[in-house]
Amino acid sequence: MTADRSLALRRVLAGIGRAVALGFVLLWSVGPIALIIMAAFTPEKEIFSVARRGNWQPTLENFVSLWAKWGDFFVGLANSLIVTLGATLLAVAVSTLAGFGYSRWKSRFLAGSAFAMIALRLLPPIVTTLPLFPIVNAFGLNDTYLVLILLYATFFVSMGTMVMRTFIDQIPRELDEAAMMDGASSLQILRRVVLPLCGQGMIAVAIFVIVYAWNEFLFAFIFTTKQAKTAPLVMSEMIGSLDGVEWGVLFAATTVHLLPVLVFVVLCQRHLIEGLTAGATKG
Amino acid sequence: MAAAMLPSRNPRIALPYVVPALAMLAAVILLPGIYVFWLSFHASSFGQSPVYVGLANYAKILADPYFWRALKNTVIVVLAVVHIELLLGLGVALLFAHGLPFRKLLIACVLAPYAVSEVGAVVMWRTMFDPEAGLVTRWLTGLGMTPLEWSVVPMHGLFLVALLSIWLHLPFSFIILYAARLSIPKDLYEAARVDGATAWQCFRRITLPLLMPAILIAMLFRYIFAYRLFSEVWLLTGGGPARQTEVVAIYLYLEAFRYNNFGAATATGWLMVLTSLALALVYLRKLYREMLARDS
Repeated sequence: MTADRSLALRRVLAGIGRAVALGFVLLWSVGPIALIIMAAFTPEKEIFSVARRGNWQPTLENFVSLWAKWGDFFVGLANSLIVTLGATLLAVAVSTLAGFGYSRWKSRFLAGSAFAMIALRLLPPIVTTLPLFPIVNAFGLNDTYLVLILLYATFFVSMGTMVMRTFIDQIPRELDEAAMMDGASSLQILRRVVLPLCGQGMIAVAIFVIVYAWNEFLFAFIFTTKQAKTAPLVMSEMIGSLDGVEWGVLFAATTVHLLPVLVFVVLCQRHLIEGLTAGATKG
Repeated sequence: MAAAMLPSRNPRIALPYVVPALAMLAAVILLPGIYVFWLSFHASSFGQSPVYVGLANYAKILADPYFWRALKNTVIVVLAVVHIELLLGLGVALLFAHGLPFRKLLIACVLAPYAVSEVGAVVMWRTMFDPEAGLVTRWLTGLGMTPLEWSVVPMHGLFLVALLSIWLHLPFSFIILYAARLSIPKDLYEAARVDGATAWQCFRRITLPLLMPAILIAMLFRYIFAYRLFSEVWLLTGGGPARQTEVVAIYLYLEAFRYNNFGAATATGWLMVLTSLALALVYLRKLYREMLARDS
């Protein structure tokens, strides 16, 4: 009897413990984001005032002043969009080709080069900026979309290849062999058999590159100055004006930059998890 | 059988498919990496022709107190970030594995920081910890605690860097551990329960040992990626006050692009490469064996 009751009590306590823990997890993950988005819709004067609770009237005034004062930011958004699309297309295309190669053929060279790919990905990106900076300048590529597209795509090609290989490995080889018997070339097998069946993998790779390229700071900071400046860089300039940060405008910019990719990540949750488990930690 | 005879199994056919990826990696990472190695033994600056100086660049940074401070800061932040993050990730993964209502929605909430840029995260955490009006600052003073003076006290600055780093990367550790936890067969737990095992015993004897490989992989990746730490520090403290919150990547950047010490920067860069590879050695060895077993 008492044993039963103490067991029930422990169940209830464990349940409460889990609910409290979950509350903390949500506050931790979503709290900072919610705070900034709400602040973006709050009049600049009231953002930091203590006694504003109760009658919160959302306003668009921060977004209006962002539009009026920081045209640069919207150019930055357009640049980010171009760079993100370019890097994603390049990385997905190259990773799919390589994933097909590594999945369907075997040799010592292939094994060795796949290994080298993974090892190279572990090198810190900032190190490569040292020699690349003068080279990029020499080719007149500084401050162009091309240099960012190439850098972003390359730093995701090894992971992308491993993800694609994992997904293509799951397509039965009998399908290739049947096509081969019909005289199909490897390119035809890729186009008719593999491509229609590896969309999941391509989406997973695309998600990683999109989130990375849209948010990246270091390369944009080093390789762009004016024309190709991306949105995070413009935001960093807003923070940088130390004596006169217009917080409302900065929050509005953060919100505009964050929301599309946040919605995207939430919608593509399943692919994100699949992609990470399929090869993120392998490549 | 017959397939082995077909010319299409010849591995040379794979070359055109893998070459674009390899060429990109060679041009953007491998060759620049080798060039940095070569440059680290030379004195040079942008636009100057290099002169061989042996190990002078290495001697110079190893004698530079700023380098050692940057290294010390990096080690502190990386150790704190990776271990706390994995503990939290493990906790959240186990919480979710227990079965929750609205699981998909709740996972989306935990993943949300993954979508946030480093710049965005700095804006958020800086605002919450604003020395005068920040929400957390007000809470802390309300509770009678001293608020964080992150722009003045170096250790406070690094603490905030670590906090926001953990926040930004927790989704990664969470997903790895959660997926690994879900792949543990349910029968094991049922069998243990039949034998009268307590929850703690289940955790110690089943969950932890079976999660260990995933924990180690996540830890390794987080070590290597946390070690690159640049943007969070740059945007939050800029390495200041008085260069006291610099980390290795900031030191490298400043030496190269502000103080024009290209030699010191390349030596720092190569030391970063070596330490990254040393960290990854165990993983790479295991992977190498697996790949040879798979592909030849």
